Amino acid sequence: MGKQAPQRAAILQGTLDMLILRTLLYGPAHGHQIGKQIQRTTNDFLQMQHGSLYPALHRLERRGWVTSKWETAPDRNREFKYYRLTEKGRKQLTVEESQWKQMSEAVARVMWPAAEES
Amino acid sequence: MRWWQIGKRDAEAERELRSDLELEEEEQRENGLSPEDAHYAARRAFGNTVLIREQIHEVWGWAQFECLFRDLRYALRRLLRSPGFSIATIVILAIGIGATTAIFSLVSAVLLRPLPFPEPDRLVWASQQDHSLPGIAPESLSYPDYFDWRAQNHTLEGIASYTGGAVTMKLKGESQRLDVEAISANFFDVLGIAPLLGRDFRWDDEKPGNHVVMLSYSFWQSQFGSAKDIIGRPIRMNDHDYIVAGVMPKEFQFPVRNPAPVLWMSLADDAEGKSPPSQQRGFDVLRVVGRLRPGVTIAQAKADLSVIAANLARQYPDSNKHYTSALVEPELTHMIGDTRPVLRVLFGAVSLVLLLVCANVAGLLLARGSRRSAEMAVRAAIGASRAAIIRQLLLESLVLSVCGGLAGIALAYGLIRGMLKLMPLEIPRMQGASLDGGVLVFVLVTSLVTGLIFGAFPAWRLSRAAPARALGEGSRTVSSSKGQLRLHNILVVAQTAVCMVLLVGSGLLIRSFLRILDVDPGFDAKHVLTSRLVVSFNQMKHDQHYLFYQQLLARISGLPGVKSASAGWPLPMSDGFATISFNIVGRSIAVGDEPNELMGVVMPGYFKTMRIPLIAGRAFGEEDGLKGPPAIIINQAFAKKYFPGENPIGRHIQTRLGDGVFEESVREVVGVVGNIKSMGLTANADPQYYLPYAQAVVTNPYVVIRTNGDPAAMQGAIRSSIHALDPNVPIYQVETMENYLSKSAAQPRFQAFLLTCFAGIALVLAAIGLYGLLSYVVAQRTFEIGLRMALGAKRSDVLGMIVRRGFVLTLAGLGAGMAISAVLTQFISGMLFHVRPIDPLTFAGTAALLLLVSAAASIVPGCRAAYLDPMKTLHEQ
Repeated sequence: MGKQAPQRAAILQGTLDMLILRTLLYGPAHGHQIGKQIQRTTNDFLQMQHGSLYPALHRLERRGWVTSKWETAPDRNREFKYYRLTEKGRKQLTVEESQWKQMSEAVARVMWPAAEES
Repeated sequence: MRWWQIGKRDAEAERELRSDLELEEEEQRENGLSPEDAHYAARRAFGNTVLIREQIHEVWGWAQFECLFRDLRYALRRLLRSPGFSIATIVILAIGIGATTAIFSLVSAVLLRPLPFPEPDRLVWASQQDHSLPGIAPESLSYPDYFDWRAQNHTLEGIASYTGGAVTMKLKGESQRLDVEAISANFFDVLGIAPLLGRDFRWDDEKPGNHVVMLSYSFWQSQFGSAKDIIGRPIRMNDHDYIVAGVMPKEFQFPVRNPAPVLWMSLADDAEGKSPPSQQRGFDVLRVVGRLRPGVTIAQAKADLSVIAANLARQYPDSNKHYTSALVEPELTHMIGDTRPVLRVLFGAVSLVLLLVCANVAGLLLARGSRRSAEMAVRAAIGASRAAIIRQLLLESLVLSVCGGLAGIALAYGLIRGMLKLMPLEIPRMQGASLDGGVLVFVLVTSLVTGLIFGAFPAWRLSRAAPARALGEGSRTVSSSKGQLRLHNILVVAQTAVCMVLLVGSGLLIRSFLRILDVDPGFDAKHVLTSRLVVSFNQMKHDQHYLFYQQLLARISGLPGVKSASAGWPLPMSDGFATISFNIVGRSIAVGDEPNELMGVVMPGYFKTMRIPLIAGRAFGEEDGLKGPPAIIINQAFAKKYFPGENPIGRHIQTRLGDGVFEESVREVVGVVGNIKSMGLTANADPQYYLPYAQAVVTNPYVVIRTNGDPAAMQGAIRSSIHALDPNVPIYQVETMENYLSKSAAQPRFQAFLLTCFAGIALVLAAIGLYGLLSYVVAQRTFEIGLRMALGAKRSDVLGMIVRRGFVLTLAGLGAGMAISAVLTQFISGMLFHVRPIDPLTFAGTAALLLLVSAAASIVPGCRAAYLDPMKTLHEQ
C-alpha cells in the first residue's frame, strides 16, 4: 500500500475510536459514511480500512459510547445501520480529546523544542 | 443483546457489511466504473469480510468459550462416530468407579467412621483375660466383678455394663418376644447421650424392685404413637409393670446388634430373687464399655484394671482364679473385630479392579490415539496449534471420563443398596453405609487422571511429529512409535497379572466354600423345622415348664406329617451356647481349676430327631424325668478327652449347674453320642455333654421337629398346635434347620461370591485389553501382512503370528500374576478352610482359564489378519 499511496498514512493505534466519536458529533451516520467522512476531512490522507472500522464501531457500541439503529437513508430508499453518539460517548470524546492534546503537545515539545521557546 | 443472542448479532453484522458494501459499489458505479469493475473495487476496499465479521464477533467477546464449546461438540461427534470404543470405555470406567466406590464406601462406613458418640476415642471395651484359655478373650464379666471394677478403678470416668435379654409383651393382642438390654444406671452417661424425652437412669434404678425402662425411638414411635405422655407411665412386660423413664434419640443405637434392642431396662431385675445373678461371681454375662478419663491411655487403663482383676483372682479363687488380668481395647476396634481382615481383602480386591480398569482404559486410549495420527497431522498441517490438538484429545478423554463417572456413580449407588440387602453376614455399622463423597471424589479423580494422562500421551507424541512425515506414512501404516507399543504391551501384561491374582483369590475362596459344604455337621438337617417359644419362668415352676414341653411335644408328634419331635438347647449353628464347669467323681481337682465344656439340655427323642448317632449306652428317655436319677450323656470328643481308653458309661460327673431343683447333682454317664459341629461348620467338633431337660430347666429350649415332607410347610400346623395349648405363648425363630446350616456358610459364600464377581470383571477386562492390543497391531500391520501374504505366507502363518503374540503376552502376565498371587494369597489364609493359600490346583486351573480366554481373545484379530485379501490390501494402501 505504501507503494501505491505514499501520501497516505494508517490511522495511529488508539486514535480511531476518538476519530469515530468526533465524526458522530455532527449527527448519526452509518459505517460507510463515517469512513468516507474521515477520509474526506483529511483529504484522503488518513486511510480508512474497513477491517478496523467495523470492529471498532462494534467495540464502541459494546462499551455504550454509541448506539445503533437500522434507519432508512433519506437519499436512498434503503435501510442502513446508523450509529449515534450517547451521553457517555460524548464524555469519552472529551476525555480522549484532552489526552490526545496532552500527548501531541508532549511529543511536539520533544521534537521541536526551539519552536516552543520562540 | 446478550451473549446467547450471538447468532442474531452475527446476522446483523453480516447485513450491515452487505448494505455498506452495496453502497460502496453504487458509489463506484456513480463515479463511472462499469458494474463489474465497481463490484471488484468495492470488494477490494472492504477487504476480507469474513475476517471482519470474525473480528466483530470477537468484540462481543465469547470467542474462547465458544472455542471450547466447538471443541466439545467436535469431541462428542468423534466419540459418536466410534460408538464401540466409546461405549466400551464408558462401561469399563463405570464398572471401575462404581464397584470401587461402593466397596470403599462400605469399608469406610464400617472401619473409618467414628462412633456416633461425643469424644468416641475415649470409649473403651474391657474384659477379663482368662489365662487358662490362651487366645480366647472372654467377652463377659460377672455382676460382682463389674461392681468391683466400677468402684475401684482410677483411670475411667465411668464404666457401664450391658447384657442382652428378652421380655414378653402383649402387642396388638399377641404376646411377643422383644429383644432388650439390661444396663447399669450410668450406661447412657458413659456413652455421652442424653435421653430425648424424660430422664436418664439414676443409681437408685439399680436397686431391686425399681422397674424402669428407656424406650428406643423406633419402639416409642411404632408402639406408642410417639405419645409424649408415655413418660412416667407403666408398661407391662413379663407380667410386671415397668415405668417408662424416657425415650432415646432416633440415632442412638448401642450395643450395635441385630435385632437392635427395642428398649433398655435397668439391671434391677437381675438383682432380684433368692440368689440373684447380680450376686453370683461365676455368672459371667456382662459386657462393659468404659470412658477413659481425659489424658489416660489404653495401656494405663489396662494396667489399672489388671490390678483389680489380680486382686479379685486372689480373693475369689473359686470363680476368678484364671482372670488375673484385664484386656482393654478402643471400643471401635473391638466392635469391628474380625470383619477387619475380610474388609481389607475386599478393599484390596476392588483396588486391583480399579487398577485393571485404569490400565484397560489407558490401553484403549493409546490405541485410539495412534490410530488418529493421520487426522492429527492434517489438523497440524492446516494450522492447528499443538495446544489445540492436545486440547482436542484431552477433551475427548474428559468427555469419556465424565460419562463413565456419571454412570459409575449411578452404579455405585445401586451396588451399595444391593449389597446392604444381600450381605448376610452381620457386619456391625454396615447398615449406615451410604455413598461416600470423599471416596467418590478420589475414584473419579483417579479415573480422570488416567484418562488425561493416557489421552495426552499420544497427543503429545503426535503433536511433536512432523506433519509431513506423519501424513506420508499415515495413510499406509499408522505411525506409532516403538515406545508407545511397548507401553501398550506392558499394560496388557499388567492386566493379565492383576486378573490372575483376582482369579486365584476367588478360586481359593470357592474351593474353601465347597470344602465347607462338604463338612458333615454330625446331624441331619434335612426335613427339620425348629422354633422357639417363651414359656414364662415367672408363671410356671420348673416342673411345670418341663410338663408343658412334654405335653406340647406329644401334641406335635401326633400331627400328620411329623416323624418325631423333641426339644433342646442350644441348637447347633445358632448363636447360643454355654460352657459349664464340672468335676469327674474320683478325680480331686480344686474348684477353681475344674474344666468346663459345652453343655446342652435336651428332651427325650432329641438325638433321634436330629439324627445324632448313639455310639454307646442309651439315649435319654422318660426315666430321666423330674424324679429319675440324675443322668448325663457325653459326646465322643468328651469321652476321648476325659476318659481316654476307658469306658465312660457308668462313671459319675458332677456339673456345676443349679436350676433350683437339681443343684450341682452328681450324674451318671448313661450314653455316648456322636460329635456335632455346634458352633458352625468351620468350627471344631468340641467336647460336649448333655443333661435331660427335666433335670436342668435353665432356659426355653428349641423345639425340633422332623417332618416327612417340606418342613417349612408345617409352620402353620405347628403354630396352631402351640397356641391350642396356650394362646399367650410367643413363638419366634421358626426356621428350618437347613436355614441355620446355610447361615453358617453365609459368610464364606458371600466372600466367594464378591471376589468371584471381581474376578469375573477382571477376566472380561483382561480379555478386552488383549483383544484391543492385538486388533490394533493387526490394523497397524495390515500393509505388512498383505505383503507377506503376497510373497507367499500362508493364512495359518499369519494367524499363528498374531496368536503367538497374544500367547507370549499372556504367559508373561501369568508368570507375574503367579508370583504376586503367591505372596498376596497369604493375606486371605485366614478366610480359607482346609485349603492352602498356595493351592496347586487353584493356581493351575486359573492359569488354564486365563490361557483359554486369552486364546479366544487372540483368535478373533488373528483371523481378521489371516483373511485379509492381500490384493485388496496392497491396492488400497
